[in-house]
Amino acid sequence: MFTLEWFGNFGYSVLRLSTPLIFVALAAVINQKAGMLNMALEGMMLSAALAGVVFAGFFGNVWAGLLGAVFFGIVAGGVLAVSSLSGKTDLYLTCIAFNLIAGGGTVFIMYMLTGEKATTSAAVKAYAIPLVTIPLMDKIPFLGKILSGHNLLTYLAFLSIYLVWFFLYRTRLGLRMRAVGENPQAASSVGINVKKIGYLSFLISGVLCGCAGAFMSMGWVNFFMKNMTNGRGYIGLSAMNIAGGNPVGAAVAAVFFGFSDALATMLKSQGTSFPTEFIEMIPYAATVIALVLINMIRINQKKQIEKGRKREGV
Amino acid sequence: MSKTRRIETTVELVRILVAVGIAYGIALVTLIAISDDPVYIIRQFLLGPFSSARRIGSVINLAIPFTFTGLCFCFMYAVNKFNLSGEGIFMFAGCIVSLAAISLGGKGLPAPVMLLILMAVGMAVGFVVSLIPAWLDVKFHANIVVVSLMLNSMLAFLSVWVLKYFMRDPSIGSMGSFMIPDVAKLALIFGKFRVQSGFFVALIAVVFVAVLFFKTVFGYKMRIVGSNANFAKASGINMTNTVILAQLAGGMLAGLGGTCEILGNYDRYKWVAGTQHGFDGLMVAVLARKNPLLVPVAAILLAYLRIGADVVNSRGDIPIEFITVIQGIVILLVAAEEFMGRYKKRLIYKAAEEDMKEDREHVCLH
Repeated sequence: MFTLEWFGNFGYSVLRLSTPLIFVALAAVINQKAGMLNMALEGMMLSAALAGVVFAGFFGNVWAGLLGAVFFGIVAGGVLAVSSLSGKTDLYLTCIAFNLIAGGGTVFIMYMLTGEKATTSAAVKAYAIPLVTIPLMDKIPFLGKILSGHNLLTYLAFLSIYLVWFFLYRTRLGLRMRAVGENPQAASSVGINVKKIGYLSFLISGVLCGCAGAFMSMGWVNFFMKNMTNGRGYIGLSAMNIAGGNPVGAAVAAVFFGFSDALATMLKSQGTSFPTEFIEMIPYAATVIALVLINMIRINQKKQIEKGRKREGV
Repeated sequence: MSKTRRIETTVELVRILVAVGIAYGIALVTLIAISDDPVYIIRQFLLGPFSSARRIGSVINLAIPFTFTGLCFCFMYAVNKFNLSGEGIFMFAGCIVSLAAISLGGKGLPAPVMLLILMAVGMAVGFVVSLIPAWLDVKFHANIVVVSLMLNSMLAFLSVWVLKYFMRDPSIGSMGSFMIPDVAKLALIFGKFRVQSGFFVALIAVVFVAVLFFKTVFGYKMRIVGSNANFAKASGINMTNTVILAQLAGGMLAGLGGTCEILGNYDRYKWVAGTQHGFDGLMVAVLARKNPLLVPVAAILLAYLRIGADVVNSRGDIPIEFITVIQGIVILLVAAEEFMGRYKKRLIYKAAEEDMKEDREHVCLH
């Protein structure tokens, strides 16, 4: 069972399942750096996933689907921004309410358009974002298997890690965003428009969630399914949380969660006698455990630092 | 001062009514837009819930779990912790209580003892489960929303596992447990309205929680922690204890809710996915502005909306999911400070100006 071939396949599956999580984790990073904990990523991703299928089906073109998904991701981000920044609604409540709306609304719209309540697979023609074979790379025996032949969005996800990092740490706007996140009053006192930065961060995270949603419905599978994101928005959020808002760290954590997802999928398909219910729990349990462990380490470090300070003081 | 407060209370009430009105308007417009026979559909939606004794009964029946989870979220919301485990607790408590009922069924216990034991079991489930996110939040600062949602997903799988391996009735085709013994069932009351007697449990819970909120030291502490954490800390309130205890109380109520739901309305346990009662409870708590006495009112309102949608769903081919959207809109509008904020400010300014004028006249008279 554990042949090189098998490991190659498993590695491929890890990267594939990490894709939406990386996008979502980066979206969470962008919001976090602007000082907001965005818990509506789940709903943003879900509405983008439906938009992707609907637009692709309507225009008969997969790129129209991708654009539609990104557009609806941005719209979702805009709704959240208006509600929480201009309407001054508690951000937690806004996000929970938005997830409710997205959960029910996508089923409602799907039913209105197709007459189906569970999936669009029968009613809408399937479109998939193409897979990309990297020339030369695919000739390398083991690595080629893992790294080549992925969905275009998978490569885009890894590229976005760099883009988000560059935006946050190498551009003026990124610096301003981080300033707002650190201390909005201070940022505002030097003339930064805090509200505008907040809007911008929601719009960027909308684009990223749009890509994540497009991957779910036009890459992972080729149709929309009721509640297909299945907690991935929250898992991406915890990836950000674990890395303390660092884009590279968040992506690493996202790949780790992609690994636990791939592990669960693989164990299920292997057909063990172990109850599948517990296997299905793996990604969720991994999230909670990782979140607790990393915070435990952080608290310990803080304690050490405080101890050190005391000693120096003495 | 008292004038300002009075204006605030009035505006609050008007705001909630307007929010519900807007949401209802959106629901009606949606129905008109998508149905072939709008007049019939709308009559069904508005009056359907009152069309028979059975339906009025089902509005009340549906309001019972909403009351429990609404009270649960009053606690979470009061201490400003969005512990969403109520959703998972409701389902898991139903599961464990069914298991307990089935295994205690043959022991010949009298009904009252049996029911008390089962309710205690349900509350214990809520206690244990809500402790997990509460404790991880306090101890390790693990994001409580993420942890509780992950926990909900895990509890759903755990419930299915318990159902499959410990109490599945192989003689029925669909997934379901053995029959819940009659001695464990909550009787139906009010004759043909067919309301389950969990109704009384819910009433007792409302009174109990209201007393706890408004007449005890703990309730006062809790409200202070929620409204101004810094002040609470400065005045020496043990924040950690208060926050955890409030969440445990909330969890126990959600557990009790799941218990009454399963014993009152079901012959067998057959939930294989989350029941959404938890998130409905959040809306109830938001609508009631975390006031336990208003929770039953909000619960009945939501139940009326739901049954209306149910009637429309069964007769008019309109998916019931649009109610979730309406629910989200209500939460957004009620929670939005700026929604009608200008109106409130204008009223307060006006009152203040009048006060000043009166004061001036008063001074002139002297």
